Amino acid sequence: MADVEYVDVWKQFASQASAAVQGLSLTIPDRELLVLLGPSGCGKTTALRMLAGLEEPDRGDIRIGGKSVVGLEPKDRDVALVFQSYALYPHLSAQDNIGYPLKVRHLSRAEQREKVSRVADMLGIGHLLPRRPAQLSGGEQQRVALARAIVREPRVFLMDEPLSNLDAKLRVHTRTELKTLQRELGTTMVFVTHDQAEAMSLANRIAVLNAGELQQIGTPDEVYDRPANVFVAEFIGSPPMNLLPASRHDDSLVVAGGWRIPAPALASAPNGEVTVGLRPEGISIEADGQTAEVVAVEPFGSEVIVDVLVGSQSLKIRAAPDVRPNPGSTVGIRADPAAVRLFDASTGLATH
Amino acid sequence: MTALAAGGEQVAARTTAPPAPRRARRAGPIEWLLVHSVFLVVCAFFLIPFLWLLSAAFDERASAYIQWPAAPTIMNFVRIFTEHDFARVLANSVFVAVATMVLVVFAVSLAGYSLSRLDLRHKDWITYAVLLLQTMPISATMVPIYGLARQLGLRNSYLGLILIHAAIELPFLIWLMKGFFDSIPRHLEEAAWLDGRSRVRALFEIVLPLARPGLGIAAGLAFLSAWAEVLMVVILIDQDNLKTVPLAFYEAMRTQGGYTEVQYGVIAAMAVVYLLPVMVVFFGARRLMIRGLMSSTRGL
Repeated sequence: MADVEYVDVWKQFASQASAAVQGLSLTIPDRELLVLLGPSGCGKTTALRMLAGLEEPDRGDIRIGGKSVVGLEPKDRDVALVFQSYALYPHLSAQDNIGYPLKVRHLSRAEQREKVSRVADMLGIGHLLPRRPAQLSGGEQQRVALARAIVREPRVFLMDEPLSNLDAKLRVHTRTELKTLQRELGTTMVFVTHDQAEAMSLANRIAVLNAGELQQIGTPDEVYDRPANVFVAEFIGSPPMNLLPASRHDDSLVVAGGWRIPAPALASAPNGEVTVGLRPEGISIEADGQTAEVVAVEPFGSEVIVDVLVGSQSLKIRAAPDVRPNPGSTVGIRADPAAVRLFDASTGLATH
Repeated sequence: MTALAAGGEQVAARTTAPPAPRRARRAGPIEWLLVHSVFLVVCAFFLIPFLWLLSAAFDERASAYIQWPAAPTIMNFVRIFTEHDFARVLANSVFVAVATMVLVVFAVSLAGYSLSRLDLRHKDWITYAVLLLQTMPISATMVPIYGLARQLGLRNSYLGLILIHAAIELPFLIWLMKGFFDSIPRHLEEAAWLDGRSRVRALFEIVLPLARPGLGIAAGLAFLSAWAEVLMVVILIDQDNLKTVPLAFYEAMRTQGGYTEVQYGVIAAMAVVYLLPVMVVFFGARRLMIRGLMSSTRGL
């Protein structure tokens, strides 16, 4: 158990034009589950690998438990990494795979066996121990990889998209198990993913990255309700937040198509162009609202997503499952003022 | 079973049995004849020399033509060991070939791993340079190697034979091993490093077992190349006690201006004995390859 710190870390690969990680600074307190979230190529895996010691930062420092680990070999850092491909040794049985880190530490065979079976029982794979990786399903392989990480009792767990190779149902199931497991073990965990739903469900805090730069770090509620910029606003949430170019006139915002939304009272930005953010659940369908043309209706069982067109601007609205306007018809829409978020039209940064 | 009270269309239970499996299309008689005749011709082409070998080895009055031995005898085999010192020649060949094989496998596994994994500044140049060496014909290097070997005192020595035989095979086999190492995911070694293994030990415990098919091929090819090498032996060896089998063949075929007759029977007997270690090595290398392929490459 230890806390982790990135202090102004930079990393550039010779083969790429721009830096993979730019000035990353963040602190992960002990026992926290932090998710590094972002699209492909945003630098999250590179950041994780630098923590593991598989890459070295060009500049900046990385600390575990207060002590710098830059320059330390991976084997001396006491961190465990679960790879996306699981990286199980194909020529060893599951038992030998899980026991490998213990063998390296020269534990006696009896001790190895005991620890391996304890962890295997914890993950429900005790019966799979004699098999080779090629004889295991994807989900079973993933658990073996997990067991191999757990058996070492490291200071920090690192996970590089370990669930992306699982089918959807198993992924959701394993997600919950991982969260419980991490809480029980009480070990600091850094989890990399591009799936925002996974991040929201797992994380104590989420660090959103894009193109090597940290966009925002906060609890799932914080990044969802108060995104720091348009990138985070669009990335988190499914369907993504509606972003509408608008112009502000004192106490109202005028969106394309003439839709007037009452402006939030405390906003300090001057009049002019802004970007308005409204989550699909922040808009409701009401008879006496702004007219909008229904383009499509997507039923999801527990809710309905209605695609509408206001002027030339398209929006998605979250509605109750019995709301079923016909495509091509017109409905009225109304925005909840409390749900309005404002972003600077040029920088994309949140102003409210 | 029909689903009760379900929404949508009812899905009826299956009432008909699945159709009988269709038989695979049989090749017509003309196809069969053509294919098998070509097979026969190709097999004959490859097998006839062996036929000669077997018939001549047991015939004291063998000629360059295939003939059934008038009086089949094993005297040829006896003679090669008593009169022509074949035991010594064979032992030399075995020693040199095995030593070459060991040296080559050691060298190419390290070189191949380095070219595959290490981050060298001019790695591309080095890799292509290695490949370029492969294009050099051996015969073009005979004279320079003669000079070099003489200067270094490598003529008429086992060391010289082994080093030169090994050098010939290095470019191609380094390239081969690099390819095999490239196909082993880096994540496996990284996992081993994180588990606590040093780089070198991870190479031996995790990577090399997975590269077994490649090592098997490299070992087999290195052995065979050294076993059959004649050009280099001709320029390096002129002492009788260091002769290898290819050199013995070469000398046996020379008639020294017509004074000695070519003894086909003796040569054939030598050739038959010469084949045996090859078969041993072949089966050994093949087993190594198959074992490696079966245990490792799935599940990666």
